[in-house]
Amino acid sequence: MSIQVLSKRSRKLKPLIVVVWAVGLIAMLAWAAPLVWMVSTSVKLPSEVMTRNVEWFPRHLTIENYAKVLEKPVLRWLVNSIVVATSATAASLLTGSLVGFALAQLNFPGRSLLFFMVLASLMIPTEMTIVPLFLGFLKVGLINNLLAMIVPGVASVFSVYLFRNFFLSLPPELLDAAAIDGANRLRTYWSVALPLAKPAVIAGGILLFTGYCNAFLWPLLVASSIDVKTMPVGLAAYSPQSGVSQYTQIEGFAPAMAAMTLLTLPSLLVFLVLQRHFIEGATSAGIKG
Amino acid sequence: MGREHSQASSLAPARWYLQLRRMTWGGRRIDWSAYLFVLPFFCGFSVLVVGAIAFGTYVSFTEWGILGDPTWVGLANFQRALQDPWVIKIWSNTLRYGLLVVPGTTLVGLAFALYVNQRWPGHTVARTVFFAPNVVSVTVIGLVWVWMLDTRFGLVNQYLGGLGVPDIPWLTNPNWVLYGIAIAAIWWDAGFSMVLLLAGLQDIPRELREAAHIDGANGLQVIWNVVLPLLRPALSLVVTLNVIHALRVFSIMFIMTNGGPAGASSSVIMYVYEVGFVKYQLGYAAALSLMLFVTILLVTFVELRLVRASTQ
Repeated sequence: MSIQVLSKRSRKLKPLIVVVWAVGLIAMLAWAAPLVWMVSTSVKLPSEVMTRNVEWFPRHLTIENYAKVLEKPVLRWLVNSIVVATSATAASLLTGSLVGFALAQLNFPGRSLLFFMVLASLMIPTEMTIVPLFLGFLKVGLINNLLAMIVPGVASVFSVYLFRNFFLSLPPELLDAAAIDGANRLRTYWSVALPLAKPAVIAGGILLFTGYCNAFLWPLLVASSIDVKTMPVGLAAYSPQSGVSQYTQIEGFAPAMAAMTLLTLPSLLVFLVLQRHFIEGATSAGIKG
Repeated sequence: MGREHSQASSLAPARWYLQLRRMTWGGRRIDWSAYLFVLPFFCGFSVLVVGAIAFGTYVSFTEWGILGDPTWVGLANFQRALQDPWVIKIWSNTLRYGLLVVPGTTLVGLAFALYVNQRWPGHTVARTVFFAPNVVSVTVIGLVWVWMLDTRFGLVNQYLGGLGVPDIPWLTNPNWVLYGIAIAAIWWDAGFSMVLLLAGLQDIPRELREAAHIDGANGLQVIWNVVLPLLRPALSLVVTLNVIHALRVFSIMFIMTNGGPAGASSSVIMYVYEVGFVKYQLGYAAALSLMLFVTILLVTFVELRLVRASTQ
């Protein structure tokens, strides 16, 4: 398991290296298998799914499973998901970049305290506040309302942290120059700092967007009526075990896998196109703690 | 903005304004506009985060059904938790799940990171494939694995059957269910650990490894004696994140088993959900999640101390 396997220094391929490389390839196949199997199941006839023979290629191709899924209000859930994720992401990016700019570039009493509070709450998982938040949203009558899923986007500490780190790298001279040119702080933020922060906007935006798209527990709590559900919560009704509902027990696994394929494809396609940003975003999200 | 103002007028408000403009903090002029920048976030943050934690703490000292008013019950919810046999069960489930998932995710992530960090043919494809499950919704993760782990028709048992292993009741037997869920969770999360460890690996100067090679160390020795010690900060970050992630597990269990069979895969948050949002005993649910919250804070704190101690 030489470190510079194929580097110029050691060109000799030892048998052990070939074995390690091959084991990796097998791991790769195994890692891709569940998603491939999902797609394969989704285009099989329901009668040919429950079999003891492993059939990667369907005997008959069918789209009837997808038709069955689309009988449910999937489009409605998709629209909800998009509305929620887009608005919440926009809110997070806007408030986060404003605070990040102030924390990184502006001088004001309370700055360290605010940053400390942001840092401390990076470690608080959302699961901890579901009970009080639920009661609060219930009191103001926002349960079963898409707003209940959008409003928390205003307080994304991750976004603040991301933008603060980014804006720290801007030279203060840049702001001074803008001030001499007569721009006020808001103007400087909007037309100088924010355009420069495009990488942070993209990486943070992608990460927040997938996060809001895939959120599960909070949407499950606040969206109980069928037309405010998001995709992951609505389609969770395909789970044969979950307390939500039991489509799968009636229809079998083929429609369930069709539903899952529909749920996977958008995020997987976006990931394949914007891979680099995903991985950068995940790295910065992890480092935030 | 106000320069001409300050020169011209001698009116009281203007003087006041001028004084404000001249005030300093830490030797520099105060940017009063900063408070405008902070305002929208701060409103949300103080209500949705700070307020929610304070309110949640209050709720945990009350008895609160979904209708009607709360009644203050003092420590009764915490006393109840200490006597509730389910609390022992869910904590033991959560910890046993953590003991499977934390080492599993970390080690698989480490192996992937070491593998992808080599410049073999196909290493970028490998990175994509290993990370891909991470971007997919938990509903997909859970349901695909319910199907993969189906006792009779699941792909896993069919391939294991080919090796002569009898069918394993992954999700229907209390002794197996945490293993079944852990497999799905590792598949979901290992890519994330990989990416963080990969960032750590790329910070290690190549010359260090090459020097060790020249000194005659073989690949495994280089990894064990050079790479892993230098990877320690990244590794401890990954372990901390994985521990927190395991302690707060909910969605994957909710989808795969709904806590069953017989509560064998019910985690702390699963129980919070059931107590709070199925039985509507919100005071007790708040107390249970407060206990988990304190645990997570302690874990983070201890971990930070350990990391600090080891880097000094």
